[in-house]
This record gives sequence, structure tokens and C-alpha cells, in this order.
Amino acid sequence: MFSKPGSGPAVLRKVTQEASKVDPAKRRDFLKKGLVVAGGAIAGVQFASTLRAADNNLPPNLPEWSKSLGSGVITNPYGQPSPFESDIVRRTVPWLTADRIAAISFTPLAELDGIITPSGLVFERYHAGVPAINPDDYRLMLHGMVERPLIFTIDDLRRFPSTTVINFLECPANGGMEWRGAQMDALQFTHGMISCCEWTGVLLSTLLEEVGVKPEAQWILAEGSDGAHMSRSIPLEKALDDTLIVYAQNGEPLRPEQGYPVRIFNPGWEGNTSVKWLRRLEVGDEPWYHREETSKYTDLMADGRARKMSFVQEGNSVVTFPCPERPLKQKGRYELEGLAWSGKGKIKRVDVSFDGGVNWRQARLKGLVLPKALTRFSLDWTWDGSPAFIQSRSTDESGYVQPTFAQLREARGFSSIYHKNAIHTWRLHADGTVTNVQIS
Amino acid sequence: MSRSASVVYVVVFLTTVLAAMPARAEVGGYGIGTPASAEEVAGWDIDIRPDGKGLPPGSGSVEDGEMLYEEKCASCHGSFGEGVGRYPILAGGEGSLTAERPERTIGSYWPYASTLWDYIHRAMPFPQPQSLPDDEVYAITAYVLYLNDLVEDDFVLTPDNLASVEMPNKDGFFFDDRPDTRNMGCMENCKDPASIEIMSEPSIATMQNEEGVAVPAETAQGGEKIYQQACQMCHEAGVAGAPMTGDSAAWADRIALGRDKLVSSAIAGIGVMPPKGGHSQLSDADVASAVDFLIQRATQD
Repeated sequence: MFSKPGSGPAVLRKVTQEASKVDPAKRRDFLKKGLVVAGGAIAGVQFASTLRAADNNLPPNLPEWSKSLGSGVITNPYGQPSPFESDIVRRTVPWLTADRIAAISFTPLAELDGIITPSGLVFERYHAGVPAINPDDYRLMLHGMVERPLIFTIDDLRRFPSTTVINFLECPANGGMEWRGAQMDALQFTHGMISCCEWTGVLLSTLLEEVGVKPEAQWILAEGSDGAHMSRSIPLEKALDDTLIVYAQNGEPLRPEQGYPVRIFNPGWEGNTSVKWLRRLEVGDEPWYHREETSKYTDLMADGRARKMSFVQEGNSVVTFPCPERPLKQKGRYELEGLAWSGKGKIKRVDVSFDGGVNWRQARLKGLVLPKALTRFSLDWTWDGSPAFIQSRSTDESGYVQPTFAQLREARGFSSIYHKNAIHTWRLHADGTVTNVQIS
Repeated sequence: MSRSASVVYVVVFLTTVLAAMPARAEVGGYGIGTPASAEEVAGWDIDIRPDGKGLPPGSGSVEDGEMLYEEKCASCHGSFGEGVGRYPILAGGEGSLTAERPERTIGSYWPYASTLWDYIHRAMPFPQPQSLPDDEVYAITAYVLYLNDLVEDDFVLTPDNLASVEMPNKDGFFFDDRPDTRNMGCMENCKDPASIEIMSEPSIATMQNEEGVAVPAETAQGGEKIYQQACQMCHEAGVAGAPMTGDSAAWADRIALGRDKLVSSAIAGIGVMPPKGGHSQLSDADVASAVDFLIQRATQD
């Protein structure tokens, strides 16, 4: 049976170990509190509810925190989540990469609400670790086929008119482990290479106007300043459309993991084009065909040829409740929830199936419905205890309908690695647990 | 207002307006940013294109490359480019792109030899990016091409002949032509319920082995965290002869030298290990905490 990452027996063991270091008189109290935290995170563990019922904090008793004073202001100058939510964290899958420097971690989608991903939970992908950059030493160079090459400081960039958008950011390898079959046993790992934030910066088109682009220019090379010096060729057409040079995320300076102090951001496009720790933009007349646009981030087809410059993240969706991390504990009324997104614009509709794609019901789009952003959908639903195959299918404003696995594999084979956006299936078992499955 | 006062007013007004105007308004109009000098651009402009544009002067032979490769590359990529652990395989895989398990190597997949020069120069060796002199980049590039049977053993790579190295898969790529699927969005009786079969379920348990779940960076503390960031890559796998983490036998003699000696070696670098493992941003105290973690791992149990 599935165990939630970081919870279950391991957490219980840790709590027990910690308890052994505590003064015996206090140990019983510590264990009880610890287990309430751990127990709350374990689905279907019977004694969790027993412990809660024995807790003196429940009605008609007056809770402990109601009888004393809490901590004062700026106890935490930079606020942190409740310690009771310490399980909502990014996680990695060690066997995916050779080391943690050039690796990936995943956003815990199951535990999040709304469409904004908290900055500290945005999935990470680096090729040479996170550099520590003093913003005073930061420079952005813009040169190549331009009238006047310029160097900008952070203060320079902040003097230009700024633009703020809410857009998703997705690694094209999101779900890539599933091409040959269902492999990962949690939503965090099947779909967690995605996030959605508010991004603030200056439009690249503004900077390009400032340097004056020569008529023969067609492409722009974006290059990072980390050890990988990650580089991607970006068509000038995109650069003049909605590409941003970003310095803020969710209202505060970019997080180091997201490219502090400055990254490029290409809305709707595969995440690696949004090069972090940006140091240089070169305008040219041809693409550079660097490693990350030839060896990697190209899509191998069944006939042995490969698609290149496959920038757009096409329409996708996934049900986030129920899912393996959030099983159903009893029969009855529920609001099914999920996320849909498309790199081509707004989500127009989402349909949900409980019978593996035989019949579909239209879901409701909740809250903000923005172009190239995560869009939350939901459906009121009564679970009668029957097993089900739960699926979601998005349609975007271009009319693109999310494909089935069969359709995707027919078009591309099994070895594409990137851009897997097939309709996903959760298998709901009679006991309320949920597992990942692929069906015909 | 007196005449003299109005003159002062006009002068002040003009001065204010002139000061507020951009110093340089020719191109963009904002006048923000500093001109980039040719020297500044030259220092950062490292990109190489398939036509060879951007290559600096220099040269390197397969013969020279072999020695350098063994020293700087083989610990991760293997002596024959076969890859160690999950580090990239560099050679082999010819004709495998239509196979069930395609092997995407430089020889079997990469369309341009320039990419190899660019990437080695840009990002390799992994722990010490941009540490190789240009001639060494030429030599290692030549040797990796040789490992892929793309050049002869007496080949010498120069700025003039890189673009002419023919890569087997150079015509193997096409521009994005999606959408390539067409789902009609059927709503009712879309398929026969009896036809639904389970095709696959997770076969690799990522979660069930609780102890195997990686410790999130946020929960790692002190020396362990530094270790994960800076040391683990080599010491976990014994890369380039690094004593492996937790290997009591390998560490016993070293620990016998005393903690101070270990810390100073880690800070200054020892053998092929660069100073601070190549992580110059770490403080000496950070390095010491990582050494303590390694000592603890080597001496526990």
C-alpha cells in the first residue's frame, strides 16, 4: 500500500528517537504531540483518530493555546509555514540523476490550493547547483547584432517600466518518466515539475529597443552565469512578444533557486528556455545549437528523427484530489479538484471522467482563468465506494484538446522523454486509496 | 515677480529639465545602461556556432586529448565514454535511435561537433567549469570525437576544421511541427467499457522504501547540507579516487592525521580535488563542518 513520502513509519520512528532524548517526565507529552502531527499526515492509520479524540484540546475543553500567550512580532522576521505543515516540501527522486547538483526536485501539488505556487515550493532544476550572487556584482550584457551593446545593473533594470504577469513554469520533462508506462507513485512525481507564480520584470522588447536590433537579426542567445552557463537560442519573434527579464517572484526578489537576481522568462514555453542567473543576451541571425537544444530538450520520434526547438508546453491537466497523496477516507460528497494549463493561452474547458474515459462531465473553472497560467477546476461528486478510473482532459482557447496516451504514442513513439501531456489516470480503489495507472 | 527673480526661475527650470532628460536618446530613448566595451564583451562572449563562428585561436590533438580526458573526464564519463553511474554516456549507440532503448550519444545523436567544443568550454569539467585553456578544449574535443570514431587517431582539431567534422545524425532533426495529435473531445460512450485494461502500474517503488526518500534540503543541517552541496558528488561514488563517504577503511589513515589536517587539505585542495571541492563560495567554517560530517560518517557504527 502507498505511504505518503516523509510520513508513515519513518516519521513515527523519528518521533520515537527524538522522544528518547527528552526528559522522561516530558516524554509522554512529547510523544503524544509528535504523534498527532505524524498521525495527521498518515492516511487511513486507525489510531490517529483515537489519539485526536483523547486530546485535551477538543471541545468541550479549552485548548492549551487559548490559555497562554503566543510569541511576539518578528519572532520570525521572515515568516515560515506552521511547523504542523512541515511535510509540505519539495522532494527529489535520487535515481533520476547522477547527483544533487545537476538534478530536479518536485512541487508538492497535492497539498496546494489556488493557482499560485509559494516561492519556496517551486520545483528546482539546475545543471550546476545554485550560485550565490551578490546583486552589487550582477551585470546583464546585451550585445551581438545591435546598434549599441549595453550592460545593465539591477538598478538599471528596475528603472525601466515594469510588467507583472501570472504564468506557469514547467519543465518539459514533467511526467517524462511515464512515457513507457506508469512508473511514479505520487502526484508530486508524475506532475510536480510545474509551478505558477507572479513574475515581475522588464519586457525584453523594451531592452531590445534600447540597444537597437539590426535588421538581419533572427535569434537571441540567453546564457546563465552559473557553472553550467546554461544557454538557449530563442527566436526574436518570441523575444519581441512576451519574454520578460524578471527580477521578482510573488512580490519579492527572485529566490536563489529561481535565478536570483535576474532570469529570463518565456511564458508558456519549456522551462529551460527561461534561463536562470542570466548574465548575457546575444542577438544573432542563426540559432547556436548548443547542448541544451540538441543533445537535450529535443524530442526523439519513433522513426529516429527528432523534433527540435519544441518550445511550447501544450495543453495538459491532472486531478489533484483525489490522488495518491490524498486518498478518500469515507464515502460521500466531495469536490474533486485539479489543475489545467496550456502554453498557448487560456484554458477553455476541462472534462472529467470516472470510468476511464467512456463518459465525461464538464468541470467548473475556479477563480482566475489566465493565459499560460495554472487554472484550477473542480467538480461536485458523490463517491459511493466503487472503484473508479479518474481522468481529466483540458481544452485550451486554440481548440487543442489534451491527447490520450495512445494518441501521443502513435504520434511520437515511446522515447521522446519531453512534452508528455497525455490524459492521466488515477485508479481509485474501494478502500479509498489512489494509485497511478495507465489503461487502454 | 521681479525681472531678476523670473530670470532665476527660467534658469532653474531649464537646468531641471535638461538634467531630467536622458543623456543618450539615440536608440531606445530611455538612456539607461552603460555601453559594453569590446573588451567586456570579449570576456563573456563564449558561444560557438555550427559554422565555427566564435572559436578562438588554438589547436589540440587526439593524442594530447587522451591524457587530458583520462585526467579530467574519465572519472564520470568512463575511459571509453561509456559513462559512470548516471553520468552521461559520450560514445556508442550508433544506429540505435529507432531501437526500443535508444542511446543518444555525441556520435549517435548530436548534429554538430561545434556543440561539443562549446559545451566542454562552457561547463566542463563538472566541478570546475571554464577552467580549461582553449588548447585543452580543442584536444579533449578531438579525443571525444575520436572515441566516437568520427576522426582518426592522428587528427588535430583547429578553428578551421571543426565545422567540417561530419556528424552522422546532422540531418536527423526537424523544426517543431506540433500539434501532432487530434483528440475530438468525445463526451459520451467514447469507448467500450469492457475494452479497458490496465496496461501498467508503477513498478519501481519510489516511496515505499521510506529510508530511501531523499532528505529535503530544508531539513538537512549544517555540515550535512554543505556536504550535499559541495562534496557528495565525488565522495558518495568515489569519483576520481575520492575516499567514499562512510568507508571507514578508506578514511582511517586520513582521520589519523587529525581533523585540522583534513580541514586544511579540504580548504587548500589535495590531489585532484580542487580547493573547497571547487566551491569557492564556501567559508572555511562551512568546509570544516562538512569535514566533520564526513568524519562522523566514517566513524559511526
